[in-house]
Amino acid sequence: MLVKRRSKDASRSGLAAFAQNVAAKPVDRRSFLRTSGLAVGGLAAFGAIGATTVQRAEAGMMDFSQPVEVKTNICTHCSVGCTVKAEVQNGVWVGQEPAWDSPINRGTHCAKGASVRELVHGDRRLKYPMKKENGEWVRVSWEQAIDEIGDKMLDIREKNGADSAYLLGSAKFSNEGAYLFRKFAAFWGTNNVDHQARICHSTTVAGVANTWGYGAMTNSYNDIRNSKTIIFMGSNAAEAHPVSLQHILTGKETNRANVIVIDPRFTRTAAHATDYIRMRPGTDIAIIWGIMWHIFENDWQDQEYIDQRVWGMDQIREAVKAYPPEVVERISGISGPELRRVAETFATQGPATFIWCMGGTQHTVGTANVRTYCNLLLATGNVGSNGSGANIFRGHCNVQGATDFGLDIGSLPCYYGLSEGGWRHWSRVWDVPYEYLQARFDEVPAKGGRDARDRQANMQMAGIPSTRWFDAATLDADDVDQRDNIKAMIVFGHGGNTVPRMGDSLKGMNALDLLVVADPHPTTFAALHDRPDNTYLLPISTQFECDGSRTASNRSVQWGEKVVEPIFESDNDYAVIYRLSEKLGFADEMFKPYDMVQGKFSMEPTAESILREINRGGWSTGYTGQSPERIKAHMANQDKFDLVTLRAPADAEEVGGDFYGLPWPCWGTPEFGHPGTHILYNPNVAVKDGGGGFRPRFGLDREGETLLAEGSYPVGSEIEDGYPQFTYGILQSLGWDTDLTADELATIQRIGNNDPEAMAKVSWSLDLSGGIQRVAIEHGCVPFGNGKARAVAWNLPDPIPVHREPIYSPRPDLVADYPTREDGRQFRVPNIGHTLQASAVDRNLADSFPIVLTSGRLVEYEGGGEETRSNPWLAELQQDMFVEINPTDAAARGITDGGWVWVNGPENDSKARVKALVTERVASGVAFMPFHFAGWFQGEDQRGNYPAGTDPIVLGESVNTVTSYGYDPVTGMHEGKVTLCQISAA
Amino acid sequence: MNMKTLAQRFVAVLGVVAMLGVAGMAFTPAAQAQQINPTAESVTEDALLQALQEGDKIEGRVSIPDDLSSGLIKPGNASWASTHTGTVRFLTIAAVVGAVVVLALFYMIRGRIMIDGKMSGIRILRFTAIERFAHWLMAGSFIVLALTGLNLVLGRTMILPWLGEGAFSTITVWGKVAHNYVGWAFMLGLILSFLVWVAHNIPNKVDAEWVAQGGGLFKKGVHPPAKKFNAGQKVIFWATTLGGAALSFTGFMMLFPVLAGTQADWQFYQLIHGIVAAGLSFVIIAHIYIGSIGMEGAFDAMGSGEVDLNWAKEHHSLWVEEVQGKADPADPPAKGTQPAE
Amino acid sequence: MARMKFLCDADRCIECNACVTACKNEHEVPWGINRRRVVTINDGLPGERSVSMACMHCTDAPCAAVCPVDCFYTTDDAVVLHSKDTCIGCGYCFYACPFGAPQYPKVGNFGTRGKMDKCTYCAGGPEADMTEAEYVKYGSNRLAEGKLPLCAEMCSTKSLLAGDGDIIAEIYKERVVTRGYGSGAWGWRTAYGDAITV
Repeated sequence: MLVKRRSKDASRSGLAAFAQNVAAKPVDRRSFLRTSGLAVGGLAAFGAIGATTVQRAEAGMMDFSQPVEVKTNICTHCSVGCTVKAEVQNGVWVGQEPAWDSPINRGTHCAKGASVRELVHGDRRLKYPMKKENGEWVRVSWEQAIDEIGDKMLDIREKNGADSAYLLGSAKFSNEGAYLFRKFAAFWGTNNVDHQARICHSTTVAGVANTWGYGAMTNSYNDIRNSKTIIFMGSNAAEAHPVSLQHILTGKETNRANVIVIDPRFTRTAAHATDYIRMRPGTDIAIIWGIMWHIFENDWQDQEYIDQRVWGMDQIREAVKAYPPEVVERISGISGPELRRVAETFATQGPATFIWCMGGTQHTVGTANVRTYCNLLLATGNVGSNGSGANIFRGHCNVQGATDFGLDIGSLPCYYGLSEGGWRHWSRVWDVPYEYLQARFDEVPAKGGRDARDRQANMQMAGIPSTRWFDAATLDADDVDQRDNIKAMIVFGHGGNTVPRMGDSLKGMNALDLLVVADPHPTTFAALHDRPDNTYLLPISTQFECDGSRTASNRSVQWGEKVVEPIFESDNDYAVIYRLSEKLGFADEMFKPYDMVQGKFSMEPTAESILREINRGGWSTGYTGQSPERIKAHMANQDKFDLVTLRAPADAEEVGGDFYGLPWPCWGTPEFGHPGTHILYNPNVAVKDGGGGFRPRFGLDREGETLLAEGSYPVGSEIEDGYPQFTYGILQSLGWDTDLTADELATIQRIGNNDPEAMAKVSWSLDLSGGIQRVAIEHGCVPFGNGKARAVAWNLPDPIPVHREPIYSPRPDLVADYPTREDGRQFRVPNIGHTLQASAVDRNLADSFPIVLTSGRLVEYEGGGEETRSNPWLAELQQDMFVEINPTDAAARGITDGGWVWVNGPENDSKARVKALVTERVASGVAFMPFHFAGWFQGEDQRGNYPAGTDPIVLGESVNTVTSYGYDPVTGMHEGKVTLCQISAA
Repeated sequence: MNMKTLAQRFVAVLGVVAMLGVAGMAFTPAAQAQQINPTAESVTEDALLQALQEGDKIEGRVSIPDDLSSGLIKPGNASWASTHTGTVRFLTIAAVVGAVVVLALFYMIRGRIMIDGKMSGIRILRFTAIERFAHWLMAGSFIVLALTGLNLVLGRTMILPWLGEGAFSTITVWGKVAHNYVGWAFMLGLILSFLVWVAHNIPNKVDAEWVAQGGGLFKKGVHPPAKKFNAGQKVIFWATTLGGAALSFTGFMMLFPVLAGTQADWQFYQLIHGIVAAGLSFVIIAHIYIGSIGMEGAFDAMGSGEVDLNWAKEHHSLWVEEVQGKADPADPPAKGTQPAE
Repeated sequence: MARMKFLCDADRCIECNACVTACKNEHEVPWGINRRRVVTINDGLPGERSVSMACMHCTDAPCAAVCPVDCFYTTDDAVVLHSKDTCIGCGYCFYACPFGAPQYPKVGNFGTRGKMDKCTYCAGGPEADMTEAEYVKYGSNRLAEGKLPLCAEMCSTKSLLAGDGDIIAEIYKERVVTRGYGSGAWGWRTAYGDAITV
């Protein structure tokens, strides 16, 4: 689109002048160093630290006389996966240039992406390891820090058990880092390992995987260019995923597409909609069922699609009869004609895609919300084709990858379950005995009326979600279903202000015996509390300071190249995990498959060798074809890929026929050359070209009906109907087992212990040779089978979702009709949501807290915001925490735009002092607060709690100080989008 | 919500209604009533520009805490620019050149106004040291201010070509500094002179006669009576006082923009400052002329403070009588007009 | 010779502020100086539009007309630049600019604004191209490198266009024809005396 500058007089024209300049005015290295801030003064400021470890990279201009190295990495903020081109001179990142060739961002960025160079200036970064001594932060060496942390962990392991250490990982890890951290948890012996997906899309993963197989975005950002109708519900992509709007707005323009935004807030995304519908927060299920009521009423559903590919839609059809227009209007505030218009548009003007984010997922009914969205897509035949799909925009730069690699309390890498089969699979890949791993886990005594668990049972039991760790630290030990309470938090790259009930979280922090924060910044975990000791900060580098791959939301895997060495005394995740493992005594076992190289302070594994191990074990998700070599070739050949199809032409060198980033599943071995899967469950292309069907993972039949597809199969399939997952036994019965090579067969024999019965059960996901996958695909079949999606997920709490009011509802009348689920125990802790909801109604809480409080993102900041609020280029743009309040509500309270207000929450007298932003973005009765702020707590400025020089530039109250109880029963997702509050002028 | 937002919403609603009218029967009536289509309702630059009042701006919300940056397009700024480069520059040139031309003509026609009765040799005190201090404080600072101010308006066309960019910028920077600080001296002088002279500058009947006779400027030997200050001098006094006050106030506001209000206020003050400065320059040039080469004996009043008695009798007969009357109370006060000797 | 212009297609602008931070990044612009900013009109209401605004490099630029020391000059590419060596920080250009482009390092009491700073269209200043002296005062000189302003190059939705005025006008026209709506080439009428008619 941009027009290159045309000819110009010789003295100023481009490269010729550039060359002349270089020749005419050589700049010596010293003056270069001066401009780049590397001069002696900069070092002297850190006198005690050796010159080799400190690099104050305050880069200024590029020096044209010096060679420029261009490094390619990926933006470390949201999940779109924008390529970053870094110009490096003398080890200093001096310039950022548009990455024109990337098919994802085509040179562009948002505010965050355009400012990532600052991250390795790092003025406010944590500069060296620190610990608290008598309430003061003091500097320590890496050796001392690792030693003391390790001793304390071993002590806790001895006294309280392995489960008493909570390992909170990060969506900021590379794939290799995430995988390594999950493996670290396994070797330590706990399933208490989690990351940000818990609080962003855990309910999506659960809901979607339970519907059609995999918990991921089905299509891609680019593919939305094909859509004719686009619904955003609970997604403000314009702020959360700005670069995605490049594709969406272009599609909107060229297709004259319908863009429907259903949201409580008139967002910047809504400003570009063709149809904006305001809803009451927390009423998604009623709205979607209301839409589907119109669809079935008018016969707009895609019956052929349903018949071939969906199980249980009749039950849904019956269920939505309970949501006629008047009922839906009563619940959501949206009128019948509005929803009829949406229904007709979505059902009849295809291809149609449905996009959701945290507005849908962060609810007590998050998983149920997701399942209704899936049902809308299934009923209209909008999954598995170009321009359609469940386009789930994920949040962090590698939250997809970190989820895929099992930074999750309930699964192992690549969604292998915690069952014995899953553990045995990974113990084969890791080359350690299954029994070795099992021995690492706690035995849990009988307590609280529950049975005891042996090590094996404990190994197979899901851990505690990150939303509840503080409850597990402060509840009575009998109430926590493991050997003892949480005693240690080991936090890698995770903010402390990102889950509700920060007052309780503070109590949890104070109750810990050990708190370790491994992060480029101290984060709220370091600053919220006043722990006097046993608190450690480890400076971790950003992904710009190490190598590794990351998976974007569309499942494309991209390689990030180390741009500069870790700044100051920071070090990368691989090295720190290695040193901890070494101290804890299992490094030799855990790291034996890797190429170890000398890192900055210690030995560390190469990212490439970790990825190769992933390739050896990630069969279930098709993480096997993405070898480091292939991914790097993609990065080097970005220009070959088509903007819309993401595919390279067949004759393109190195990457011919591949989809960009080999989006998983990329079946078989790297040598097999599968191109990756641009669009999941797409039968319109052959499996070898990225085609597929729905994954039958819930049995073969149900209630007398088949769960296998009927009459739908990928192009070129030799089985022209549904079929179950491939095993060696199935290959034998089809007579295709003879296609296996001798080596492949030998591997299957080894896994099956040469026992024919066990061998027959070796499936496509356990076969370490990839032979079963190869043979199935060569016969045009999907390795995981060809099944139906489930409209009804009988294994979930609400198999057919029903509307349920939030815990703190502004509508007590509706609570009576649509109460939240009964209290229960999930994930080792109690869930007392129902009791709280009933109590809130009894106390008429909605009278004193009449405003619904919801939360969301700002484009300038990300996540807990410590990193972005420390970046002056971003911080300048949002200098104050605020609450959006409707002019009517503001006027009634004497609140003026820009004035200070108190926002009071419904629990524990919580309150937050913020600025008022009086705006019609929110309706009367609704308030909105962004969730990136921290550093103030209930009116108190906590700047002094940060180690000197590491406090973010902008501090503010956290919305989660006033948000409240409420957990999804399936994943432990918190209720981040609906609570009640009162607002008054401060 | 202010009126403008309401108006904009009203326009937006009208737009939707019109659009739906065109869309016609494709929708059910209920759907028509409810659809919010932000794309179709988008504001357009054309509509906003057309609705813009003179001096108003298209503005919105910005997240940075800088109110000035919330203005998007302000066409009025260009009209300030054209007034500044047009009217103000023209008036300034007209004032300076006009004053010189008028005085040159006057000099050619009238010549220097001499003391008709020759010097008497008797000198009487006309201005005390305090009065002279006030005058020269004001006069000196005014000259600095006028020259540095004129430089800002005219220097670019008249001086820059001679000095070149570098040197001109240097003197202009120093000129700006001088202008900003010398202004305080001017204000002090202005206040002092006002205090010491205001009582003598209240217009009265004598002034009417003086004016009727053209101050005796245009005819030799004509000397209308005057007290300490004649009507012409009163004009200068009031022009200086009022003009100076206006310059001081507007100058002060430009020095402290935070106090001054919005950008429109700054622009207003700047224009007033420029125009008043042009006018006052005209007056002061005339004053300098008549106080120096234009009239024999006049300069002494502010030089030594003592003037020749004959000069005083010719130009300030009533004042002389007052002064001498004080010394000799027997002398009756002057009544009515008297021919000058 | 190309006539460089900016055009913000407000129907694409999502107020992501990439243009703002790209500018900060490219030129190391200090806190408090905003060479480019995004203004949202009718915020929160249907009809809301955001526009990214910086110096528009006007035809017959009013800033240049009022500058008492004539520190502005127009390059062959029609980029309006200024000399900080000559600038006396009087503030007239800020009064004259219809777009609020001129910025000053200080608040400006007592006439102490400091030297004016503004968008250079990534074309540096009067110093020799791509030198440290030029960079320190004006930031980098992308035009001399054969590149366009980074704000436009990095615009998330390709809303902000930079390049030859005729060509970007053509791109904008094509978009309006394709999609059937357009809120206008914001600032063009004021800066260049003509609007784009489709």
